[in-house]
Amino acid sequence: MQELKLFLGPQHPGMHGNASVHMFVEGDIIKRSYLLPGMLHRGFEKGMERHTWLNNIGLIPRVCVVEPDINEMCFAQGVETLLGIEVPERAHWIRMIILELARLSIHMMAYGGIGGPTGLYTLMYHAHADRNDILNIFEKITGHRVYHMYIVPGGVRKDLPVGIEKDIHQFLDSLESRYAEYRDLGIDNPTVRARTVDTIMLPESVVWELGVTGIGMRSAVGKEYDVRKVMPYARYDQVEFTVPTNTYSDANNRIDCKLQEILQSISIIRQCLAKMPEGPVRVPLGRGQSMRWTVPKGYAYSVVESSRGEFGYFMVSNGGTHPYRVGVRGASYPQGLLGIEKYLPGTRIDDAALWVDTMGVCSPEIDR
Amino acid sequence: MMNSTNNALEVITLVESKYNVVKTEHISKYQVAFEVIREDIHSMLNFLKNSGWKQLSYLSAIDWPEEDKMELVYIVFNWDKGVHIQIRSKIDRENPEMDSILPIFPGCKYYEREAHEFFGIVFHGNPDSMKQLILEGWDDIPPLRKDFDPRAYSEAHFPQREYTETFIELNQQESKQEKRAARQAHIDEVRKGGKK
Repeated sequence: MQELKLFLGPQHPGMHGNASVHMFVEGDIIKRSYLLPGMLHRGFEKGMERHTWLNNIGLIPRVCVVEPDINEMCFAQGVETLLGIEVPERAHWIRMIILELARLSIHMMAYGGIGGPTGLYTLMYHAHADRNDILNIFEKITGHRVYHMYIVPGGVRKDLPVGIEKDIHQFLDSLESRYAEYRDLGIDNPTVRARTVDTIMLPESVVWELGVTGIGMRSAVGKEYDVRKVMPYARYDQVEFTVPTNTYSDANNRIDCKLQEILQSISIIRQCLAKMPEGPVRVPLGRGQSMRWTVPKGYAYSVVESSRGEFGYFMVSNGGTHPYRVGVRGASYPQGLLGIEKYLPGTRIDDAALWVDTMGVCSPEIDR
Repeated sequence: MMNSTNNALEVITLVESKYNVVKTEHISKYQVAFEVIREDIHSMLNFLKNSGWKQLSYLSAIDWPEEDKMELVYIVFNWDKGVHIQIRSKIDRENPEMDSILPIFPGCKYYEREAHEFFGIVFHGNPDSMKQLILEGWDDIPPLRKDFDPRAYSEAHFPQREYTETFIELNQQESKQEKRAARQAHIDEVRKGGKK
């Protein structure tokens, strides 16, 4: 049979961001494939070298479009490690609330996203409507809906507004009450199960070969390999939560893990709101004018658990007012590039979008 | 999966007993850095992989034009111990070459390809490392080198835009008077019978 070249993306309901998967197909089986990144390359790593440490706060959230807060956290943590300063106690808890709200928001978006490849758009509309409530809360806290620029080196930009706890609790309650509905509509739905159960496998050997992290890894290995557990940052060691795991990683189980993480995030935010102490939320990084603040020489690699896995910033300072080098480790780099090249072949064309979706490939962090 | 400062210290004693480390840094509770000579990298990564550091988290480079060196960085991670290890080594800047670590960590394939694209480092043994990945049709020196000037590049490659000068009316009073005069002129014209 003749081999035919097909493109998935950059414009496709199941494709995340502007990247394209080139597939060579015979019949409806993919024989060879590779990802073509670069449509979203904005030169962040070079751009960061040309901005001062504080100016970079406006630049870094743009690295990952749908989940900007992890970038801020990564950058802030890296600067704090290099400077050796300790963040005020309250700031840690506020950061955790922001990060978990961000995790809820991206999980809602990703869970709704399986509506694209499976043709179940109702799920997507519902999930996006609920995500909108999270964006409203973000707008109240930070003044921005998507790019918050709220977590800054030294703490958070501003204290939480008065009465926001009520809004957050209200939202969490409503989301929790709808959780069963989401399960019914999504992964317990026979049409979705027919597409996801026992397809798009990710065996443990592949996890270690590619270096997949996050839900993909945990659903295959069956251990709590979560950065929040293994090397807790902020105050994740003081809240109680479990990390959903599995030992059989098909598309359905990965989505299931994602859904269970939503419940865990809800529980973490409630604990944070209860345990959060009063006090200052930010310490200055130096004295004098903020644009002339310098960071001592050194190398630091700061990591955060994003919704797709280990997200890291490798930061080098030469003691100046600008970062010397900042490297971004996108969480979906291994499965997005090498995974698509090696393990997408063999699946059917209509599963390719679902493959990209459930593996958690995010093109902005591959391109940077 | 408990983590403590001991894990990082254990790593330091483990590695220092086996290899001649140029410099050791204990960056934080969860992070250790070793600067080694270039020849040690493969055996060290192999040793660490067999000791539990099974994941290659990051691979990249840093350009140091003052020292005329290029610094390679490999970061490996052990999920059970919870310790990141940075392994750094300086190589020549003029002809940056390195043997690929593809046989040890297959996941390095695209990291090396990206490092070639952005720093011009040649990785021997990686079949695709010379192919372009992100920058399509790049015709300048690798962009993350320090001597690459983005402004000069964009001035050379993109046409200069022509801007027109627009005036902002700062003096509101003056403009009001002008408007009034224009209005008056129009009225006068109409009274005379208008334009014909």
